[in-house]
Order: sequence, then C-alpha cells, then structure tokens
Amino acid sequence: METTAATRAGTDILPGKVGVWWFLASEVMLFGGLIGSFIVSRLGSSGWSGEAAHLSVPVAAINTLVLLTSSMTMVMAFGAVEKGDPRGLRTYLFLTVLLGLTFLGIKAYEYSSEVAAGFTPVTGLFWSFYYTMTGLHALHVLAGIITNLALFVMARRGLRNQHRVELAGLYWHFVDIVWIFLFPLLYLT
Amino acid sequence: MSDPVAVLAIPEASLHHEELGFWRTYLFSTEHKTIGKQYLSLGLFMTIVGGFLAYVMRWQLAYPDTEVPGWGFVGPEFYNVLVTMHGTIMVFFVAMPILLGAFGNFLIPLMIGARDMAFPRLNMLSFWTLFVGTLVLLASFFVPGGAASAGWTGYPPLSAKAIYTGVNWGLNLWILAHAIEFASFLMGGVNFLTTAITMRAPGMTFFRLPLVVWQLLTAATLFLLSVGPLIAGAVMLLMDRIAGTSFFLPEGGGEPLLWQHLFWFFGHPEVYVILLPAVGFVCEVLPVFCRKPLFGYRWIIYSTITAGILSFVVWAHHMFLSGMDPRLAMPFSITTILISVPFAILVFAMIATLWGGSIRFTTPMLFALGFVSMFIVGGLTGIFNGSAPADIYITDTYFVVGHFHYTLFSAVVFGGFAGIYFWFPKMFGRMMNETLGKVHFWLTLIFFNATFFPMHILGLGGMMRRIANPMQYQFLQPLQPINVFITFSAILLLVAQIPFAVNFVWGLVAGTPAERNPWEANTLEWAAPSPPPHLNWGEAIPTVHRGPYEYSSPEGPEDWLPQDRLVVARSS
Amino acid sequence: MTTERARPNYVAVWVWLVVLMIAGVLASYLPFAKSAVIFLVFVVAATKALLVALYYMHLRFESGLIYAMVIVPVVLVIALTFLLFPDLVFHH
Repeated sequence: METTAATRAGTDILPGKVGVWWFLASEVMLFGGLIGSFIVSRLGSSGWSGEAAHLSVPVAAINTLVLLTSSMTMVMAFGAVEKGDPRGLRTYLFLTVLLGLTFLGIKAYEYSSEVAAGFTPVTGLFWSFYYTMTGLHALHVLAGIITNLALFVMARRGLRNQHRVELAGLYWHFVDIVWIFLFPLLYLT
Repeated sequence: MSDPVAVLAIPEASLHHEELGFWRTYLFSTEHKTIGKQYLSLGLFMTIVGGFLAYVMRWQLAYPDTEVPGWGFVGPEFYNVLVTMHGTIMVFFVAMPILLGAFGNFLIPLMIGARDMAFPRLNMLSFWTLFVGTLVLLASFFVPGGAASAGWTGYPPLSAKAIYTGVNWGLNLWILAHAIEFASFLMGGVNFLTTAITMRAPGMTFFRLPLVVWQLLTAATLFLLSVGPLIAGAVMLLMDRIAGTSFFLPEGGGEPLLWQHLFWFFGHPEVYVILLPAVGFVCEVLPVFCRKPLFGYRWIIYSTITAGILSFVVWAHHMFLSGMDPRLAMPFSITTILISVPFAILVFAMIATLWGGSIRFTTPMLFALGFVSMFIVGGLTGIFNGSAPADIYITDTYFVVGHFHYTLFSAVVFGGFAGIYFWFPKMFGRMMNETLGKVHFWLTLIFFNATFFPMHILGLGGMMRRIANPMQYQFLQPLQPINVFITFSAILLLVAQIPFAVNFVWGLVAGTPAERNPWEANTLEWAAPSPPPHLNWGEAIPTVHRGPYEYSSPEGPEDWLPQDRLVVARSS
Repeated sequence: MTTERARPNYVAVWVWLVVLMIAGVLASYLPFAKSAVIFLVFVVAATKALLVALYYMHLRFESGLIYAMVIVPVVLVIALTFLLFPDLVFHH
C-alpha cells in the first residue's frame, strides 16, 4: 500500500500552463455562449444573409491573413526562446504587436465605413450581434497586444521568466481561433 | 544542434522568508491564509447587509406599508430592490466568498501540503477585485434611482430598459458588480485548480486528497465552465441598456427567453458551486467526530463529479412556465430527477458514516448534522419542483422560496458554520466557546425551521414570491398570520446569530490557545502549527502515507492516524 | 520526462492556414446548395482552428489533462447551442 513518491506529485507540469488553459476553457464558454446565441438567432430569423452581404469580405479576409500571420510570428517568438535567441525573440514579439495593431486598425476602418453606410448596433439584430461579437473579440486582441508589448519591454531588459512567452502565445492563438470562427460566421454565410 | 530544442526548466518557487510591513502583511498580502481570512471578513460583513435587507423585507410582508422599525417606509418599488439585492448579496457576496473564497484559499494549500497557492499575486488580485465589486454593488444603493430591482435573476425585458423598472444606473452597476465578481472568482478558480493539480505534497495522490478539496475543485470547475455564457448574456443585456440594441427585446426582434437560458445555464451549476464546498466541510467534520472512516470515499468523489456533469443539463427546470418549448420539459424533468441519485449517494454515505461511530457532539458536528438533515428536506421539496407537472402549480410561489432556502441556507449557514467552528482553531490559533456554540446551533436550527417551513404552506396556498403586499389579494388574507409568524421567526433567527458574533470576537481575543490538533483529526492542515506560520511547513513539507480518513485504525496507537505519520510495522 | 521535444515547422503550418483561408472564401462562392456551402466553409474553419491548436498551441504534445480542459468546454458549448434550438429556431 505504501506508494510514497520522493518528490512532489505533479511537478512535471508547468503551473502557468495549467492556469492559462483553465482560463482559456472559461473563455471558450464565453465566446461559445455568444456564438451559440448568434447561431440560433440567425437560424431562427430570416433575411440575415442580406444584411451580411453589406460586410466587406476582401477587407475581412485581409484581416484574417494579418491575424494568422501574427500567430505564426508569436509562435516563432517562442521558438526563439527555446533556441536561446533573444534577438529573434524581440523581433518576433515586435512583429506580433505590429500585426495586432494592424488588425485593430483595419477593424476600425471597417467599423467606420459601416457606420458611415448607416449600419450601427441598433440597425437590427444582425448588426447588434456583429458589433458585440467583433467588439468583444477586438477587446481581447487589445489585451493580447498589451501583454505582448509588456513582454517585448521585458525582453529588451532580458526576460527572466521565459515561460511567459509560451503562456502569452497560448492566449494569442486562442484569440486567433475565435476570429477563425467569427470570419465565416459573420462574413461568409 | 538545430532541430530538437531543450525544454525550458520549470522554475522552483522561492522559499526565502522576508519580513513584510503592515500593509503587505495584513492588507495587500499574497499569503493564502491571510487572503482566506479577508474573504471570510468580507463575506461575514455582507451577511449583515443581506440579513438586514431580509429583515426589512419580512417586516413589510407581515405589516404591509407600515413603518419598518429601524428603516422606515418601504413600498412596492423599494420592496423590489430588497428582493433583488438580498438575493444578489447572499448568493454572490456571501455564499461564494465564505464557502469558496475563504475556505478554498485557507484549506487547499494546507490540505495538499503546499506552501502557498500556485499564483499568490493573482490570489491577492482576486480578493481585491471582489472587494471593488462589493463596493460597486453597495454604491448602487446611493445612485439616483436606487439599486437594481429586476430580481436577482434580472429577467428581460424588465431589466433591459431603464423605463421598465425606473432604475437606470443602479441596474447598470449591478451588472458591473457581477462582472467584477465573476472576474474575481475566475482568477480564484484558476488558482485553486492549478494549485491542486501541480503542487501536491509527495505521496498526495488524487485519491488521497481530503474530500473537501475534491468538492472545492469540482465547484471551481463548474464555475469556470458555466459562467461564460452568462457573461456573454450580461454583455448583451448591457448593450440593450446602454447602446439601445434589442437582443432581449421582442419589439426589436430579440428573444427574452435567450437570457433565461443563458442565466440558468450558469444558475444551476452555481447552486452546486455553493452547495459542494458545504458538502465538503461536512465530509471532513463527520468522520473526525464519529472516529471512523468516511463511508464510500471514492463513491462520494464519483457522485460529486456526476452531479457536476449533470448540473449542466438540468437548467430549464427553472423555466417550465416561462413559455419555453414544452417539448423541453420532459427531458429536463428527467435529468433533474436523475441528479438526485448522486446526491442521495452523498447523503447516504454521510448517514452510513454515522452508523456505529462513537459520536462526539461538538459544535461543528452539530452543524454538520444540521446540514445533513435540513439538506434532505430541501432535496425532497426539490423533487416537487423538478417534475414539470407539480412545478406548474408551485413555481414562483413561496414553496420555491422555502425550497431554495432549505438547500442554500442550509449549505451556507449550517455548512459554513460547521466549517468556521471546525477550522477556527487552525485559522486563528484559539478555540471558540463550546457552550455558546451549542446555544447558537439550537437557536439557529429551531428558528430556521420556523422561518422556512411555513413558506411551503404559504406557497401551496398560492402566495406568489416577490409580492410586496400579500394583503392586496383577498385569497391570501387568511394566510396572513403565517406571514406574521414567519417574520418573527426570521427576526429571532437573526437574533440567534448574536451568540456566534460574541463567540467569534471573544474567541479571537481571549479564546483558549489551540493546540496543533485539537479535534484529533487526520488531514494535513492539523500537522501544521495553529495558526500555521508563513509558508506553512517550516523546513520540510510533509510526506503523505495514506488516505485522509483512517480513524480507529489498528495500525496506530491512538484512534486517529494522520496522513503524514509513518507507521513502522509491528513485528509481533 | 524527456528533456527534448521536436517542434513543428511553423512556416509550413502558416502556408496551410493561408491556403485553407483562401479555400474557405472561394468555397462560399460555390454554386452548390446553401447548406452544402455552409458545411464546407465550416469544415475549413474547424480545420484551421485545429491546425492552430495542435501546432501553434502545441496541443499535440500535451497531456490528457490539457486535452480534457479543451474538449469539455467545446462539448458544453455545442450542447448549449443544440438545447437552444427548440426555443430560438423552431419557434415559428
């Protein structure tokens, strides 16, 4: 019966990683609840395709490309940490922040042209969902940019806890995945 | 040299002890025990607020539209505020901070043999976030228009437009306070789960964890996984109120039922977020004072997890009369009845633990027994509510009010007090007075039943919940003596808490100093000094050799066998 | 516990992601039945999400515990959405 381990039970898992994944699990529920509500509302109403046709697919596609690329630079920043390449780390983090800002800039351009065309959150239920979902996502992008910027500043001073790059990356990729679903949900159907 | 890369080493937590000033020791502390006590203080303070609201509400029901002693005139609009804020405060700012916040923080690291939480600074942030949320909620009483008055469930369309309730900023702040509270408990929950997964002491396998840790972890998981859709709903509700969208307004193409679904998808697991920690306290207290192992350790774990999973698919039993698709009623009735199976297993395991034990009727034990017996009543009335045909008659009546106070009040009050009396010596290093404790228990038990049992009769008599003046309805006038009786019982129930307040303060200041293990218990927290020092364990963390409930074991000389004691096999 | 692990080629994954994104956009213009087009578009989106999760978030190299933390909420979200159908989709 005596099965006493010599060390702590479960030290081979990084606590930060477990914590971030739990946090992401709750985020899945947050966006999942919103997306689920959107899906059933859309299936239960008519005429939303016509509303969606007012959105610009090319602009959104470019924005998708920007976010996908930022995911790659983020994971390459982590790769640079693993290879012990502080210069690469700084470069890739900087690129990720830049691409994140580009995404927000394009999103802002989209919002302004839609509002100029008379489509505001109160135009109809489709637009309410559109602005709420993309707005919540944009806030998450903003939080990611701030995190990555903080990491970039830390990396310039010499990053002590290098796991942070991986953890921030997990969050950033999650935000990317949310957009991967928002893009077809709002623009392509 | 290029392709495979070395895995980064996992940094070890630093163990150095530094002297901290007053602010970092007592206020902005990252120490899990201090944070637990902060949660406890906040929860106990909010109990006073919530209890006072209950008193004002009860007086209005007994003597409608008279001056409430100590408050003043109420009236229907303010009565709605009372109902809303009493529910909100008691569920989110009393039950969760005390049961989950205080005990989760205090117990989890001690019971698993860790020195602190996995993320101590996040832990501090989660408490202060809750503190801000509490301030926002309390501030909502003082904004123009007063506090939220759309019920603690906040159903739209009532809650979706300011003109419907006459409350604008109060309800916006109410939503904001919830958002802050959720953020706080998300941080807390992540911390609990990560700590228990990664920081257990050597030998502390998952099936050697004390049950309260299992129950706290299940509760944290349920919260993490259920709150997302409600946050999504809250964002939509706030958009309806502030931006003028119509997610939940039928005239704009929205669907009010969507809110009810999102709310109760969270709301039902939330019941277990509150209930399970209390079940856990009872699971710890019972074997200690029965001097025998807990009956069915693994079955309790399996039942807890089963109940947790099922709690995600029962929510629509709150909505049988909401205008929901009637085809949903049957499946949700069935899952609701099903969920009584794991809870029945839990209760039977508790009763079986008592059987043949040498029971010590200490104050924590009395409260634990009070929980078991009262929870059975709440569970039984739940079966009526859970079956759609019966619920159609009793829903939104005082039967439901009686039912959920029997479950939640018994969890928070009986479970919570069992926990406080049991772990007070470990928390503060002093004993509480047993006589005062017993007086407190019996008064609470009697007036609890006198308050909430007649509510079932009122409900069957047709009295609706959330009405400010039962005398307005002719068919309720014969029931008014019951309302008066309930009101006086409720006042006495509140008065019955005075012995506890006295006992608590007296215990803090002048209680007998507690020894390391005053209850002769097995779990790891009793292996640390009372109160445990910073970093809990001195030089070396304990090593765990066995499960948590080995009482009256033939292996040891005494009738308890702590988890960390190494027994040398006797040769003869 | 191994001290070394292989890493995927991040650029190759990115190329796949871009190809799939273009495929998704093009698929939405296909002259098929609307349900078939929607199905196709979301299969593409799910594939992209899987690629990001498996390779960029290193889910392929993680333990069962972390898998459970991903799969359980996804299952719950799908269950919630389906249980909303009677009230919000079939209500007319």
